[in-house]
Amino acid sequence: MKPPETAIRMTRRHFFGRGGSGLGIAGLAHLLGREAASQGGLAGLPHFAPKAKHVIYLFQSGGPSQLDLFDYKPGLQRLHGTELPDSVRQGQRLTGMTASQESFPVHKTWFEFRQHGESGAWVSELLPRTARIADKLTFIRTMHTEAINHDPAVTFFQTGAQLAGRPSIGAWLSYGLGSENDDLPAFVVMTSRGSGRVGQALYTRLWGSGFLPSRFQGVKFRSQGDPVLYLSNPEGVSRDRRRMFLDDLSALNRIQQEEFADPEIETRIAQYEMAFRMQASVPELMDLSGEPGSTFELYGEAARQPGTYARHCLVARRLVERGVRFVQLFHRGWDQHRSLPQQLPKQCADTDRASAALVEDLDRRGLLDETLVVWGGEFGRTVYSQGMATAKTYGRDHHPRCFTIWLAGGGTRPGITYGETDEFCYNAVSDPVHVHDLHATMLHQLGVDHTKLTYRYQGRRFRLTDVGGEVLRELVS
Amino acid sequence: MLLIAVPAFAVDFDREVRPLLSDNCYACHGPDAAQRQANLRLDREGPARRAAGEALRRVSSDDPSRRMPPAYLGHDRLSDGDISILREWVEAGAPWSDHWAFVAPERPEPPATRWEGRVRNDIDRFVFERLERAGLSPAGEAGRRSLIRRLSLDLTGLPPALTEVRAFLDDSSPAAYERLVDRLLESPRYGERMAARWLDAARYADTQGYQNDAPVQMWRWRDWVIESFNANKPFDEFAVEQIAGDLLPERTLDQLIATGFNRNHRSNSELGIVDEEYRVEYVVDRVETMSTVFLGLTVGCARCHDHKYDPISQKEFYSLFAYFNNVPERGRVLRPFNSPPRVAAPTREQAGRLEEMARRIDIAEARFAEARKSARQEFEDWQDRLARPPAAADWYPGHGLAARYDFELDAGSAIEAGEVRYAGGRAGRALSLRGSGHLVDEGVADYDYNDKFSLAAWIRPESPDGVVLSRSQAFDTPDENAGRGVTLVLEEGRPKLKLIGRMDDWIIVGARAAVPTDRWSHLAATYDGSRLAAGVTIYVDGVKVDTLAELDYSNGGIKTKEPFRIGAGADEGTGFVGALDEAAVYDRELTGDEVAILAVAESLAEIAVIPAAKRSREQSLKLERAFADAHGPAGLRAAWADRNRLRREREALAGRVSTVMVMAEMDPPRETFVLERGAYDKPGERVLPGVLSALPVLPGSVPNDRLALARWLVDPANPLTARVTANRFWQMLFGQGLVRTPENLGTQGDRPKHPELLDWLAAEFVDSGWNVKSLLKTIVTSATYRQASNGSAEAVRKDPENRLLSRGPRFRLPAEAVRDQALLLGGLLRERLGGPSVRSYQPEGLWFDIAAGGGYERGEGDDLYRRSLYTYWRRTIGPPSMLNFDSATRETCAVRTERTNTPLQALNLMNDVTFVEAARKFGERMYFEGGGTPSERLAHGFEMATSRPPGPRESQILRRAFERQLAGFDGSPDAASALLGQGESPVRGEAPLAELAAYAMTAGMILNLDETLTKQ
Repeated sequence: MKPPETAIRMTRRHFFGRGGSGLGIAGLAHLLGREAASQGGLAGLPHFAPKAKHVIYLFQSGGPSQLDLFDYKPGLQRLHGTELPDSVRQGQRLTGMTASQESFPVHKTWFEFRQHGESGAWVSELLPRTARIADKLTFIRTMHTEAINHDPAVTFFQTGAQLAGRPSIGAWLSYGLGSENDDLPAFVVMTSRGSGRVGQALYTRLWGSGFLPSRFQGVKFRSQGDPVLYLSNPEGVSRDRRRMFLDDLSALNRIQQEEFADPEIETRIAQYEMAFRMQASVPELMDLSGEPGSTFELYGEAARQPGTYARHCLVARRLVERGVRFVQLFHRGWDQHRSLPQQLPKQCADTDRASAALVEDLDRRGLLDETLVVWGGEFGRTVYSQGMATAKTYGRDHHPRCFTIWLAGGGTRPGITYGETDEFCYNAVSDPVHVHDLHATMLHQLGVDHTKLTYRYQGRRFRLTDVGGEVLRELVS
Repeated sequence: MLLIAVPAFAVDFDREVRPLLSDNCYACHGPDAAQRQANLRLDREGPARRAAGEALRRVSSDDPSRRMPPAYLGHDRLSDGDISILREWVEAGAPWSDHWAFVAPERPEPPATRWEGRVRNDIDRFVFERLERAGLSPAGEAGRRSLIRRLSLDLTGLPPALTEVRAFLDDSSPAAYERLVDRLLESPRYGERMAARWLDAARYADTQGYQNDAPVQMWRWRDWVIESFNANKPFDEFAVEQIAGDLLPERTLDQLIATGFNRNHRSNSELGIVDEEYRVEYVVDRVETMSTVFLGLTVGCARCHDHKYDPISQKEFYSLFAYFNNVPERGRVLRPFNSPPRVAAPTREQAGRLEEMARRIDIAEARFAEARKSARQEFEDWQDRLARPPAAADWYPGHGLAARYDFELDAGSAIEAGEVRYAGGRAGRALSLRGSGHLVDEGVADYDYNDKFSLAAWIRPESPDGVVLSRSQAFDTPDENAGRGVTLVLEEGRPKLKLIGRMDDWIIVGARAAVPTDRWSHLAATYDGSRLAAGVTIYVDGVKVDTLAELDYSNGGIKTKEPFRIGAGADEGTGFVGALDEAAVYDRELTGDEVAILAVAESLAEIAVIPAAKRSREQSLKLERAFADAHGPAGLRAAWADRNRLRREREALAGRVSTVMVMAEMDPPRETFVLERGAYDKPGERVLPGVLSALPVLPGSVPNDRLALARWLVDPANPLTARVTANRFWQMLFGQGLVRTPENLGTQGDRPKHPELLDWLAAEFVDSGWNVKSLLKTIVTSATYRQASNGSAEAVRKDPENRLLSRGPRFRLPAEAVRDQALLLGGLLRERLGGPSVRSYQPEGLWFDIAAGGGYERGEGDDLYRRSLYTYWRRTIGPPSMLNFDSATRETCAVRTERTNTPLQALNLMNDVTFVEAARKFGERMYFEGGGTPSERLAHGFEMATSRPPGPRESQILRRAFERQLAGFDGSPDAASALLGQGESPVRGEAPLAELAAYAMTAGMILNLDETLTKQ
């Protein structure tokens, strides 16, 4: 980097390092002669050469069933209907929904599994497109978490803590690494609903900045109305009219600046300019008219429809192309307590094609190497059936002790399946992966030492991985 | 090296050395016994002294394997500056002093200052002397226009009206400023402004948070806060009432409402949660909030292990926990609305009307008694007539009766299903069932969980099991709505009422004793709509019986499409066997007397022949009620009807009164245990309630309960509460506290630059009787506060963050003031105190996108224009125009918010309909009220927003802006009317649309000015 840049970062660190003094942090950036609206990261970051520049996190909210999608257990054919042995359950706490259940009958999957690609990864018939790109993926079968209910579990995956109040992963990365695009936020969020079922609620804290300054929070792109809240000028105000308005506003603010020499004023002027640029850059980003027909062949026709998961996958690729650091998708509806054979195929139909298309598309464009894609939910589902299984249907309760997620790109080692679970898919037999381990690894791929990205709050240096987390070295190159 | 005469120790241990030790050493050599390495601690005087020399050698070692803090844990070597501070300390003999904040403040003597002539009160002496030491001078006094705007925004959250500005300019009296302060402190807007910050600290919201994030009603607590600030309730009382108002002797309803403070935490109604896990979270939240708000300590760090830095052991955390652990509550809360303990909390107006109602009811009762007395003879005569044939019709309570089945004409309004017979009954004929048939009536008993109702029937069961009355779905199904609805059933002879929703949303209340078979019994069950098992009453033969709540959750609706059934439920084989007579369904909760009357088997005529002295109480009551209701003289009937009408009105009025969740104590209290690693299911050693050992002890003379804790918090000997509170008020006015970490005055907290000033303020506060208005007045009348905010270049250079107070405060308004000011300038603000939260403008689909439940239903009329502290706050999706401006999220306690400056704020202010409408209305005011020429009108608007007229260059730009906008709108009337159509309020008066639109744009520009958005 150029010398002035280093100087800026050093000085900025001075102010950031004091940790939210309540003073105009962004304002200081201007004092240092840099365009205030674009935000650099912390000095010394990245800690080492990053493998990835971007993350796309395809969060499957509700808890997809690993038993019906990835973790094939042929032995369950034989064990089907038998009681889950206590030796396997080991007193694991249950949700209140099945805690009063007297019997825990093992339930096999109703779906066919096959091995795919050279790696021979097992994938169920519900995910044919994902199966096709199995050799590009890294499967982790032994993901585990500490929470058993949705809210704390999703919050744990997104912030490293079960309770509200901590920054989300994207906020940590915006804070640490800054933005690479002056016209778009560094951290973008999109949410879609499942057609399997509407699904569990989400909360703004999942992309919040916790105790970090709020400018590091994710910006939610919406599928209804303005893609970013309040983006459009009101009716009757054209872009030219807004330009005039801003010119006159800046002129008045500059007079104030002469008197007060407060860097906040200059920052405000710059932020209005960024707002004006976003009014152009966001619609340009969301305008898919320039995408060729082949794009929709890849992602599916659903990508033409606002608000779908497929659309969001395509927009995620466009965001990454434009330098956005962290793209967080949430797709709701994976909570199959009942009617799993009816709901799960719909969830998969919503997501399978577009998830695979995104990986392929990034790969074709040469972006996969620098983009880490993560697919997974907040927990898995139990091998035993919840409530009464019938000839027509079954359901599964929440299961925190082992479930499957996959990673792609961003320097991960493709074509491997990591971790082994027992014959009931109830406990990890080898290589358990904790949420903090996943976070440590994600940060590592972005050149960040998870133990060193800290923020002082309430007298303590907080980090995303709390006091845990090991980088999964076997999974990354 | 030169040997110098032993210098006086120049390093202040508490200020310079302890923070170094705390920051670098205490994690492994501090208060946390479990993590302590090498059995060495540096947080206590003795051990620290003994180890100081070795510690110095280790931190300055060049050998990374010996150096501390350890390189293998990722620590770098301490800076040379830090090492030399430690060296000086060690060389001076490692002197020790206690952490400043744990020592009770004594009122310090204000220092002398060379700017004595500028001093307005003692605050200035501390501040000016500190500036002097830094080689700085105080800034001059701000202009009067700046002062009135600053004061108005600080004390009321709103800018001054132009008339107020002018009156202040014209008031040349030396007391003008003080009078202004007094006026603002007396404004009802003051309480609202102060409440806003308290709501952040108390994590107040209108929903539960967590998964379902359903509504709760805590606004009566919020209004109590506003009233308390407006009434200038002393802060110690304010604190005690919120922590322990329920335990005060002869406590008032208001003091009970105050305890809502500890029920404002998030609460979880998610299906399948472990009850105890969340109950523990609530108690932890109370401890953390209390500690942050009153003690300024991060006590929550000691939940899982001893505190790493401050002298707070894990055991002490649970001793505090024990004070809040006795609430009769559950982890899984009701949804929606309030979970017990809760209290009906009428507003002042409602309380007045209820009192009035009670008075009128008393009068009506007296009139009825009078009428009854004067109809004594008629009553006797009527009884005589009754005893002779033909018998008069029988009588039973008629109000709210939805259906009654006497089976005299077979099924009556119902339809027979399966094998149904009729036989001799309790009165006339009865239904006779063999378990294979029942009656069906579509339209009856369609109740939800918040409806009141009563079910009654005479039964002569031949089997101890069978459904008596039901409107419910089949139980025997894996469907998640199994059993949904209302079922009155006999199980092993025990009558039970079941109110069932989805999954495990079940209320089941059963009588403890069985009713006999082969004998007539009268069975009744009533429900009060409270969604609690306690709201169910079961009567047998007219007498309330002992019951057992088998299940007690009601979180969702219980309505079902199944029909009402007599003698069966929806399941096969659960039908009633035996005779059933006089079945009745009421759309209200019958009183005990009314049920008793239903259970009187004898008809009016049969009672009349019984000698009066031999009649049972119920029989006499039945006669009297029947006479008053139907057979007495007109005057008596009217008096009876009047009494009943008034009672119903009172009930309806009481039903509209909101409740608020409050604190209560269980007796005996729950036992409290240290929870290992903070986990609810890992109880360890048992602990008793107790306070932190680093702070003063509790008085031994009073019971060790929550009230003792509350009084301990505000005891003058407590070193923290007064400092913490004064510091937060300082933060509110100056943008940063004297301690910049108001949430943490512990060893890892920020070190104040003016420790003596903070102590002086704390002493002043306590000595004044915790008088909040008086403390604020002292601060805002200081010369320090009155400084101009445009400091000299030197001040900005030497004191860039204004920590030394070398100039007046200058920072962006808090979120709610940004919006309130815009509404005020637009003439839209509706200034009304209190009431339920309102739903103002919010972009479409915000809730629908991510939340459970339905979408956002926007309010109408005044609801759009109330002050922002009344805006409905959904915890998981807060109001975007608040969150965009760095408001607290209200998920957990927040006493400090960051201030950022972002493009999203710019978009919000330019394009959110709230601000576009405010700009449009503000433009109208400029046009109609601002004078005759564009220049006058523009200057008028500018002055309204900033409290000063524009300068010449500013006027020019305003004029240019207006003319450019006007030129644009002149050619496009559609654009003008589109802009003027924004928001619900109508366009005012007759004016050229293009001009109004141009004023709207210019007004919007003024609202977006940095100066408008800033307090300076």
